[in-house]
Amino acid sequence: MTVLLLVLAVCATLLAGVVLAAVLDRALPELAGTMTRQRIETEAPDRMNRDLAPAFYLALAAEGLSVVPFAPGLALIDSPVGVVIWGACEALTIIVVFLHGWSPNAPFPLIGAYRYAAIGLPVMLPSMFVLIAAALPAESLSLVAIVDSQREIWNVLRQPLGLPLFLVVALALTLRGPMDYADAADIAGGTSAEDSGAGRTLWQVARLAMLVSVSAVAATVFLGGPLGPVLPGPVWLWLKTAVLMAVLIWLGNRVARTTPSRMLTILWVVLLPLSFADLIISGVLAL
Amino acid sequence: MVTLAVILGWTGLAVVFAVALAPSAKASAPQAMPFLGGGSVETHAWQRFHFRPYTMSLLFIAFEMEMMFMYPWAVVFVSEGIKALAEMGMFLAILSVGILYGWREGIFRWQ
Amino acid sequence: MIRDTLAARAPAAVFAAIGPGRQADAERLFARRDMRRASTPRDASVLLVAGDIPAEASEALARVHDQIPPPRATVQWQGEDPDRIAARVAEALKDLRGTGTGEADRLPDEPPNEWKGIGPHGQGGKGMMGGTPYGRPMAMTGPDIRDGLQLDRYTARIGPFAPMLPPGLTLEVTLQGDVICDVSIDSPPFAQPADADAPDLCLARVLRLLGLDRAADRVLGGKRPGALWVRGAIPRGLGRIDGTDIRGRVAAWRKGEAAPLGPFDLPQLLTGAEWSEAMLILASLPPSALIRAARATEAA
Repeated sequence: MTVLLLVLAVCATLLAGVVLAAVLDRALPELAGTMTRQRIETEAPDRMNRDLAPAFYLALAAEGLSVVPFAPGLALIDSPVGVVIWGACEALTIIVVFLHGWSPNAPFPLIGAYRYAAIGLPVMLPSMFVLIAAALPAESLSLVAIVDSQREIWNVLRQPLGLPLFLVVALALTLRGPMDYADAADIAGGTSAEDSGAGRTLWQVARLAMLVSVSAVAATVFLGGPLGPVLPGPVWLWLKTAVLMAVLIWLGNRVARTTPSRMLTILWVVLLPLSFADLIISGVLAL
Repeated sequence: MVTLAVILGWTGLAVVFAVALAPSAKASAPQAMPFLGGGSVETHAWQRFHFRPYTMSLLFIAFEMEMMFMYPWAVVFVSEGIKALAEMGMFLAILSVGILYGWREGIFRWQ
Repeated sequence: MIRDTLAARAPAAVFAAIGPGRQADAERLFARRDMRRASTPRDASVLLVAGDIPAEASEALARVHDQIPPPRATVQWQGEDPDRIAARVAEALKDLRGTGTGEADRLPDEPPNEWKGIGPHGQGGKGMMGGTPYGRPMAMTGPDIRDGLQLDRYTARIGPFAPMLPPGLTLEVTLQGDVICDVSIDSPPFAQPADADAPDLCLARVLRLLGLDRAADRVLGGKRPGALWVRGAIPRGLGRIDGTDIRGRVAAWRKGEAAPLGPFDLPQLLTGAEWSEAMLILASLPPSALIRAARATEAA
C-alpha cells in the first residue's frame, strides 16, 4: 500500500515538476509545437540508441527521484546506500547523453557528445565530494538518515560550499546554460541538432524531468527535504524543489558559457579544490 | 529486492513510453543528410574521433577509485574520529599533486 | 486538443536563410517575443528566405528546405515591415496546422553514392576500411595538427546557411575531433550594408554563442544584457587582431562604440582552433571586416 502511494507520488512529482519547469523556462508551447511535426530519420542512424537514449534519460530521472524521502523515513527506495544509487544515476547520465549524440551519425551531435563526456566526467567528482560531506554528520549513505541528521540545522548552513557546488553539477546534468556543452549554440544544438518531431519533445521532457529529480535531491541533502513546521512533509519537499528549479532555470538563462577547455581547467583547478575544502570543513564540524 | 524492482520498473516503463510516443518516419536522401547549414559531406560522421581530453580521463580514473574508498569511510568517519580525517587528508593531498602536475603539463587544454 | 491550443501559442520556430543585405533586419526580427530562430531546420516548420539568394547557393537552400520536417512552408521576405512578416509567418503556421500538408521536397530522392562493399555490413575493402557502406565512405586517417597522432580527418563544407556562421560564408573545414586542422573559404559572406556592424548587433551575436539568447534579445531591445560572467567566459587573448582580442571588442560594443579592424588572414586565424573558439572568433568580427578578409583570401 505504502509502496503504491510512493510510486504515485514519484509519478505525480515528475509530471507536475516537468510542467512547472516548462512554464518557468517558457518552453511549454514549444514542446507542444515540436510534437505536431514529423520525425525524420537521419542517414544510417544507430536506431536502438536513438530510441533508448531519451527513454533511459527519463528513467534515470525517475530512479533518482525514487531515493528521495517524501516524508521523514519514507522513500520508495529506502536503501542504506541511497547516495551511491544517485551517484550511479549521475554517471549513467553522461553515457545517455553521449549515446544521444552518437546515434544520428552526424558531425555536430558527435562533437557535442564527446565534449559532454569531457566536461561530465570531472563534474562527477565535486558532486560526490559534496554528497559524501553531507553523509558525514549522518554517519550513513542513506538519504533518509541524511534528512534525519538535519533536524537541528540544515546542511546548507552547516556546509555553506555544498549547495553552490551541487548547483553546478545540476546545471551539467540537465544540459542547462553555462554547463550545456552537449547542446550548445555553436554546434547548432549539439546532440539534439538532428532531433525532430516527437523524438525531440521526448528528449526535452527528459531534460526537464532530470531537473525535477536533481532539484529534489538537492532539496533533500541541503535543505532538509520534507522537514518543516506546520505543513506536511511532501508539501515542504515540493516547495523546496520548486524553489531550486527556479534558481537553476534563472542561472541557466543568465550565466555565460565559456569554451570547453577553459571550463575543464576551472573544474579541476577551482571547483575540485573547493569541494575538498567543503569535505574538510564538514569533517571537522562533524567530529 | 524492492530497489531492483523499482529500477527495472522505471526503465521498462520509460522505454515503452518512448517507443510508443515517437514513431520514426522515413526520409528522402537529401532530407536524411546531416545538417551542415546547406553544405555537404563525403564521409560518415562516425570516425576514430580525436578525444583530446584523454590524458585528463586518466587523472579522473585515479579520483574515481579514491571515491570507492570514501563510501565506507564516510559511514565510519564519526566513530573513527580525527584519525579518519588525517588519513583522507593525506590521501587527497597526494592525489592533488597529480592535478598540479597535469595542469603544468597542459592536460586540461585540449592538447 | 490541449496540444494544438498550446502549439498555437508557441513562438514561431523559423529557420532563416539570410541573403545579401538582409542580415541586420533578420537579426532584429528574431529579437521579437513571437519569433524564434531555430538553430537547425529539424526544429523548424517555416523557412524564412530573407532577400534574393544568389544562384550558387540555391542548391544549399533547397537542401535546407528539404531538411525541415513536414509539414513545412516557405515565406519570402523582400524588405517588408517586420510586423507584416511576423503576421505572414503566423498565417503560414496556421495553414499548416489546418491542412497538414505543406510543401514537397525540392531535391530528387537520390542517394549520394551506390552502396559498394563486401560482407554483411558492406564495409568491404581490407580490414575495417574501404567500400561505401550505406552510400558513404568512412573517414581516413592523417596526422593531427597539434600532436601528430594518426587519427581520422573529417572534411565537410559548412554553410552558407549555418546559424553559427555569418550568412553566405561557406567553409571547407577538416576536423580532427573538434579541432580545425585545415580551413579554406568556399564562398565569402554575402555583402551587407554598414548597419550590420551596429554595436548592439555585434554584441548580440557573441551573447547568443555564449548561450545567452534572452540577454541578446534584451540588448537588441535597447536594454542592458543582464547577464553574469560575459567578460570572464571569453578566454583572454583569443582572436587577437591589431592588439585587441575578443574581450576588448566586446567591451567596446557594450559601451556602444564600434570596433573597427584592419586586414587579417581569416584561414590563419581559424586553423588550429577548437570549434567553439573558432565560432567565437568569427562572431567577434564585424561583418564588413569579415567580408573584406574573406574576399582577400579568395582573390589570393
